[in-house]
Amino acid sequence: MEIFEFAFMRKAFLVGILLAVIIPCIGVIVVFKRLSMIGDALSHTSLAGVAAGLIGNINPVVGAMIACTGAAFGIEAIRKKIPRYAEMSIAIMMSAGVGLAGILSGFVPNAAGFNSFLFGSIVAISDFELKLVVTVSIIVAGCFLLFYKELCYIAFDENSARLSGVPVDLVNFIFTLLTAVTVSVAARTVGALMVSSLMVVPVACSLQVAKSYRQTVCWSITFAVLSTGVGLFVAYYRGLKPGGTIVLTGVLLLFLLFFIKAVVKKFRRNASKMVGTQAT
Amino acid sequence: MKKQIIPILSSIVAVILMAGCGTATLSSSADSSSLSSQTAEPSQSPEDANKLNIYTSFYPMYDFTVKVGGDKVNVTNLVPAGTEPHDWEPSTTDLANLEKADVLVYSGAGMEHWVDKVVGSLTNKDLVTVEASKGITLQEGHHHDEEETDQDEDEHEEESAYDPHVWISIRNAKAEMENIKNALVQADPDNTAYYEENYAGYAKKFDELDQKFTDQLSALPNKTIVVAHEAFGYLCSDYGLTQMGIEGLSADSEPDPARMAEIIRFARDNNVKTIFFEELVSPKTAEAIASEIGVKTDMLNPLEGLTEEQLAAGEDYLSVMEKNLATLVASLKE
Repeated sequence: MEIFEFAFMRKAFLVGILLAVIIPCIGVIVVFKRLSMIGDALSHTSLAGVAAGLIGNINPVVGAMIACTGAAFGIEAIRKKIPRYAEMSIAIMMSAGVGLAGILSGFVPNAAGFNSFLFGSIVAISDFELKLVVTVSIIVAGCFLLFYKELCYIAFDENSARLSGVPVDLVNFIFTLLTAVTVSVAARTVGALMVSSLMVVPVACSLQVAKSYRQTVCWSITFAVLSTGVGLFVAYYRGLKPGGTIVLTGVLLLFLLFFIKAVVKKFRRNASKMVGTQAT
Repeated sequence: MKKQIIPILSSIVAVILMAGCGTATLSSSADSSSLSSQTAEPSQSPEDANKLNIYTSFYPMYDFTVKVGGDKVNVTNLVPAGTEPHDWEPSTTDLANLEKADVLVYSGAGMEHWVDKVVGSLTNKDLVTVEASKGITLQEGHHHDEEETDQDEDEHEEESAYDPHVWISIRNAKAEMENIKNALVQADPDNTAYYEENYAGYAKKFDELDQKFTDQLSALPNKTIVVAHEAFGYLCSDYGLTQMGIEGLSADSEPDPARMAEIIRFARDNNVKTIFFEELVSPKTAEAIASEIGVKTDMLNPLEGLTEEQLAAGEDYLSVMEKNLATLVASLKE
């Protein structure tokens, strides 16, 4: 096929599918914890890390990871202080991150360097970034499978998980770390927009069809891979920007599911009415 | 009631105090920035008082003005070193400075989308504005990307009909310098002879460099360059080259895969050996394309700005263009 003739498109599909597998895994937990916006908050905070890295002559990717990790733990800490308004912790961390990035960017010696860390694009991925994404994907997928049950417990109800002997603090710690690393790597590679939407939109789609936790996870991954694949195809053949196309494909999919669900519901109601009239 | 008012009042007082500190630091930062561009505020020393106070929009304008004005003028560049000028906008400090300025030099042709708005909002009625590209025949921009997702699309639409990168042609650069010279003469007739002399000296150097470009480039077999954004149109038409831009006329947007595929095919068909990127724009897309075809990347400077290191090393329009020539020759001779 013509689209696979180019190495950059093959890389885009590989990275896109890997991220479409691991980001929704994190997304499911994040959504159940009422922290849907965490992807946004972390990717914005990672900018502060990039700026600090460029100023302090550390590798900016490392800087981004450190900042993301700090922000993720910051969100956890604030969330514990005000558990009933969990989403507030994200807004607070995001403001802090954006503010810090704004101030630090003024001290970055070469704005061009900063720019190149701001915007990732799925069709311009270097070999280093490819390796990074593959490594992170393996680690995240491994941990997710290893702590599958524990994460499920915690996602639904932290307190009863703790009571039934789940090492909540340890699992939360690992999960927070994984989220931070994934977001910092993915935001740099494919752009913050794709990260924050892959974290939530496929999960929203999946909630329309899934009937259990396991199904939610599986459907989320399926929808994420589907919208990434379709998005890349459409972007290539219609000459559109890939990031935006992938995200919009996901949102359209969600609307389509809403629509189908409504139609099915109506049809069923009509059908049961018919059955009812026939019976009498 | 009283108890509640006290903390509110005290916080208001604190804010006012801090605002005072804020202005103090602002002016000191303005001082340091003008120091870095080797100028001083006119109010600081009496001997500077009768010098023209000139603000320029971005680097080539700054360089040309310094070349003509020499030590008879104070020149400050608005776009800081290392910043891409396409999406730059003036800060409130810049506006305050412009209120006190004598001359504002900008390139025009749609490059500085903020100029009309800013000049219209100033109360400084004595400000002489110089559109340096005036009188230069503009080329139409190549519009391969109609679906360009620019936030300021509406502002862009009317202006980007023309390619704003006029200074990249040495002949146009000389014309821009002449426009600047004429404006300086008009604003400060006492030093006419000085400005004319400076202009004539540099005009000769520009002519020599132009001749060098003609000599070296006309001999080369390959005439096609692939560049990060289409900033080299005027240079290309001077010497019979063709440019293929990864991005259109403005520098920053996500590449679309169809365009990338098109460029890769084009580069393969036309035996392109180098994909050029720019100093002030991320090289990621250029690198992805180059690794696809198996060629190298190299830097071609569209002179939209220099980094602080380059300024410290004493680089200017002429020296950067010399380097561009060497880069072009190295890539096109194969």
